[in-house]
Amino acid sequence: MLLNTLSSGKKQKKKRFLFYLGNGPNPFGTLPSEWRFPLDPDKKKQSLAAIGAEAGRKRIRRYPSLCEHIWNQMRFQSAAHWLLQGILLFGAMFLALFLRQESIGDLSRLSSCSVFFTFAGNLCFSQTVRLFSRHMAELEQTLYLNLKQMVCIRMLEAGLCDLVILALFLGITGGVNPLGIGVSLLYMLVPFLWSDILYLHMLTSLRGMLSSLRSLLLGLLCGAAALFPILWDSVYQPEYLIVWQLLAIAGILLLAAEIAGLLGKIEQGDYLTAAPY
Amino acid sequence: MPELTTDRVTKHFKNKIAVEQVSLCLREGVYGFLGANGAGKTTLLRMLCGVLKPSAGEIRCNGVPIAKLDGDYRYMLGYLPQDFGYYPDFTARRYLEYLASCKAIPKELAKDRVQEMLRLTGLEADQKSRLKTFSGGMLRRLGIAQALLNDPEILILDEPTSGLDPKERIRFRNIISSLSKSRIIVLSTHIVSDVEFIADEILLMKQGRIIRQGTVPEVTESINGKVWEYLASQEEALRINETQAVSNLKNEGEKVRLRFVSDNPPCEGALPVRPGLEDVYLYHFEEVSEHVEHLERRTL
Repeated sequence: MLLNTLSSGKKQKKKRFLFYLGNGPNPFGTLPSEWRFPLDPDKKKQSLAAIGAEAGRKRIRRYPSLCEHIWNQMRFQSAAHWLLQGILLFGAMFLALFLRQESIGDLSRLSSCSVFFTFAGNLCFSQTVRLFSRHMAELEQTLYLNLKQMVCIRMLEAGLCDLVILALFLGITGGVNPLGIGVSLLYMLVPFLWSDILYLHMLTSLRGMLSSLRSLLLGLLCGAAALFPILWDSVYQPEYLIVWQLLAIAGILLLAAEIAGLLGKIEQGDYLTAAPY
Repeated sequence: MPELTTDRVTKHFKNKIAVEQVSLCLREGVYGFLGANGAGKTTLLRMLCGVLKPSAGEIRCNGVPIAKLDGDYRYMLGYLPQDFGYYPDFTARRYLEYLASCKAIPKELAKDRVQEMLRLTGLEADQKSRLKTFSGGMLRRLGIAQALLNDPEILILDEPTSGLDPKERIRFRNIISSLSKSRIIVLSTHIVSDVEFIADEILLMKQGRIIRQGTVPEVTESINGKVWEYLASQEEALRINETQAVSNLKNEGEKVRLRFVSDNPPCEGALPVRPGLEDVYLYHFEEVSEHVEHLERRTL
């Protein structure tokens, strides 16, 4: 009942509306010219120009995601960089396959992996130096993705490469080492950490003097630090495990401090400008 | 429209003060920093770009410290450093595409922008050449192209015309003039003609301080009555040149027109003339430009 009343009311309104429309000007036809507001072409032009200018001033900003930044950094890496990464990964795979032979002793297996891992880590990291070459650092620090962020992306990339190699070696040595994966990790990580610290420190101190090739050679030189434990077999005895642990903790802290120092220096800027004034 | 302000900005390196208590307010327009080498121009520009952190004071963009704006500030920035960096094994196109990606320019837009900048700077024909084969002038033009790549609201150019030939210099000046609407353009130079015709405001820097600021007529007005000219014979010109600092020499038939910048009349008969921006430079920096030295050698 109520619905009927409502619907009839609607119909009435509709009828009235249609009736009104029927008596007025045809809404589908053109309005009589005297009913129109006179159009001022100059004013129209001015208004459109003002709208255009305002629209032109609007700047649509786009903020790329971290993944996009990483992809962009990788996209512009040189062919030599990818070649080096490929050589390192294939080298690690071949070494891993070679070390699976039973005739090779545990200690030899561990030390070989440790040395390769350290050298590979430094070589991967040497590519970061490119960012500082030929006065690029100053310019890069003013870009949306600035130098500090670029260095972090490159370190991340180098770190991922290191992780792959480490996982590969741990799979071999950890399985056969009677002390287990944890100890194998320690034996490989300590030379890597200290060599990395030395390398990073040298790179920071010798900034501006290093080309890509020189930094690569310096990486190899610093990697030689990994050879020290091999010279003294006894350091792999279980009683020295505590020393390895302490060295690992100290190495992690020192490396973190070294990286923080480098990023701090970039932030301050004095480090980036060859001739400060 | 951005507004860049520096509030008593100071920078010192160990025991050397490079910039001291500089307070500025930069709005839309072209600002030309003039000063001798070591005046602190580059350090100030590096601070404006966020490369160097001020030892004291603060730099704000639209009232917000630039350190706080971080990426948002760099997004609106275009910078050409004095020592322009490049990767020698990159081609010009690849280099600009790389910087476009670092400037967060969308890939689809970057392609057009790179092409436009290559055309604007006359490097279109060399876009596939490696940068190690580029001359100094070409590298400078590439530097200008990369600074303009993101259509920056704040454009900072440190010695932009060094290494450019006169034709390229004029071309650069025209580019800057055409871009001066709705943005802040800051350029530092010690070449007076670079800024004389395009700068809305001139800032003279000496020993880390802004010693004078204003439009070209305002700045030149400040040394009114301190620029003199004297028409001398060849012998007289030689004699005067030994005792007085002559800023310009011009052969006029048998005679030589000498120009001086000094507080007092340099010789009897010298007439005060209207000063130019180069006179202002010479007055404040007491340096005779290379051009004048060349003229001296040629004339005397």
